[in-house]
Amino acid sequence: MAESSQTVMDDEADDGGLRRSITGKQLFFYTLGDVLGSGIYVLIGLVAAAVGGAFWIAFAVGVTIAAITGTAYAELVTKYPQAAGAALYVNKAFRNKVLTFLITICFLSASFAAAGALADGFSAYFATVWEGPPALLVTLGFIAVLTVINFIGITESVVINMVMAFIEIAGLAIVLFIAIWFIAQGNADFSVLVDFETEGDGIGDKGLAILAGVALSFFAMTGFENTANVAEETIEPHKNFPPALIGGMITAGVIYVLVSMAAALTVPTDTLAESEAALLEVVERGILPFVDTGTMSTLFSIIAMIAITNTTLVAVVTQPRILYGMANEDIVPGMFAKIHPTRRSPWVGLLFSAGVVAALLVVGTYAPRVEGSTLIERLSLVTVLFLLFIYSLVIISCLKLRGQDEDERTYHANTPLLFVGLVGNIAIFAWSVYDDPTSLIWCAGLVAVGVVLFLVEYFFGTQSRPPGVERGDPAAANEEGV
Amino acid sequence: MHVVVATDGSQQSLRAAKQLKSFADPTKITDISVIAVIRPLAAVAFADDLSPAASRKADLEAGGFRKAAESSVATVAAVFDGWGPKVHKKIRSGSPANEIIKAAGQLHAGLVVVAAGGRGISDVVLVGSTAQRVQHYAPCPVLVVRPSPKRPKK
Repeated sequence: MAESSQTVMDDEADDGGLRRSITGKQLFFYTLGDVLGSGIYVLIGLVAAAVGGAFWIAFAVGVTIAAITGTAYAELVTKYPQAAGAALYVNKAFRNKVLTFLITICFLSASFAAAGALADGFSAYFATVWEGPPALLVTLGFIAVLTVINFIGITESVVINMVMAFIEIAGLAIVLFIAIWFIAQGNADFSVLVDFETEGDGIGDKGLAILAGVALSFFAMTGFENTANVAEETIEPHKNFPPALIGGMITAGVIYVLVSMAAALTVPTDTLAESEAALLEVVERGILPFVDTGTMSTLFSIIAMIAITNTTLVAVVTQPRILYGMANEDIVPGMFAKIHPTRRSPWVGLLFSAGVVAALLVVGTYAPRVEGSTLIERLSLVTVLFLLFIYSLVIISCLKLRGQDEDERTYHANTPLLFVGLVGNIAIFAWSVYDDPTSLIWCAGLVAVGVVLFLVEYFFGTQSRPPGVERGDPAAANEEGV
Repeated sequence: MHVVVATDGSQQSLRAAKQLKSFADPTKITDISVIAVIRPLAAVAFADDLSPAASRKADLEAGGFRKAAESSVATVAAVFDGWGPKVHKKIRSGSPANEIIKAAGQLHAGLVVVAAGGRGISDVVLVGSTAQRVQHYAPCPVLVVRPSPKRPKK
């Protein structure tokens, strides 16, 4: 660079030479939208079935533990504002390649399972609007459409994200309004809120029932870890990230607890438990006299589908991103680093991810039912298992990295709370494994996908390309071509 | 005149920069701003296809899309080394077309240079490309550099 003195890298002062774009407010709605879409529309019936009328307690416990985990993320993001998330933190804390690989694969697997569960939840609401096509077809079509959307790249508008978050809040506000109306009419029986589906009446039985619900309710909080992806592009992450992330999670948590109380008050618990689109039951009670229940139900189903779509999109975006990162590190075959020349989308990773999710859905539909578990229950439990493992390690990493890389701007999570969160994560993990060991087979299957990719790269990745050059690399292709 | 040269990390954007240099008169250009736009919510926020593979090898800690954008901008900026005009490097974040148009306005640019893909199915059938949107809404003339048919498409 002979003339390098002429070339200047403009800084922030000069009309945004290195401008970052995501504001604290946008991040708040991104978190809220991502979290709200996932669980409550999809899983509230299953949680009600596990706990009984008091299932709001399960949501309260679940969101509390998740929010504590969120504080650990917030602390780590302010220290390391890069896009890599959990894998980066664990790598910093443990410096163990195998563990980092495992975390990355777990994160990827969780994302696969979550997309599958959400697709199934989508099909449940879809069926309430149009009962024609079989559920499997709807879920596969759903994943295919999201993959195309992701390829085109129209998911990238921050404004659309905010609109989606508002629509999701509107849907839940409808549920709350119906409940308030119901209470105002004097029809509500509040004793249902302390009603447990247990054989015994001891505190221990109730505790176990709640624990069963917590594992499922935890799925409702998932998605927040994806906000670490945009840390790099957040304006002043030290200042904006912690309040936006934790604020978003607490807001989602409060909405969840209120909505689950509303559902419990207005709909009999066993109706909720049997319904695949449980929140719709609240609307279908026809409690509001001044609107047509049929129209309202259709509207609500559409809102629910939009909410689920929003969260699934984030999962579908995350998968190829993780694969892309791993391909650049030569952990998985280099073809996952292939970027479409004009669309700039990692199309190989996108197709592969869609294939894995589709396979999960097909296997889940035709695999023999174990203990009557539905596809959605299975996949959400698998997601939760992976995430609990990741969350536990993130909290440990947070504690282990205390005192390193800190400056006066670093956010500090409350240490005793972190220990509570860690114990909570481990307790739910242990109980879930004990209660439903079949999920471990699914987890192993998903981890195996990652291991196979690694082995392919390990044994075949270095052949047919010069040392130091990645497979699928355009430069390498040119050299070979000449 | 201030010229904005946009790069998305693709080989075609590097060709676009070279195209500009091949015919433009450097004495008439005072400043060149090389701009990369990071797409925070995209699956891959920025992919750098320009730097040699060895330097691109992301290790988990050093990596990051901002780094990829910086190195692409540096590669494209190097095209204009010693040519005359003052070269600025800029990285923005958001929707590529919007940010390029905004930058052109703020810099009072006299020309925007963008690369376009082929006329492949993905550009015709799917929602319009960045180059198309810049072409429609830029406050100044736009040079859209398409891949020449002789070159093998990547």
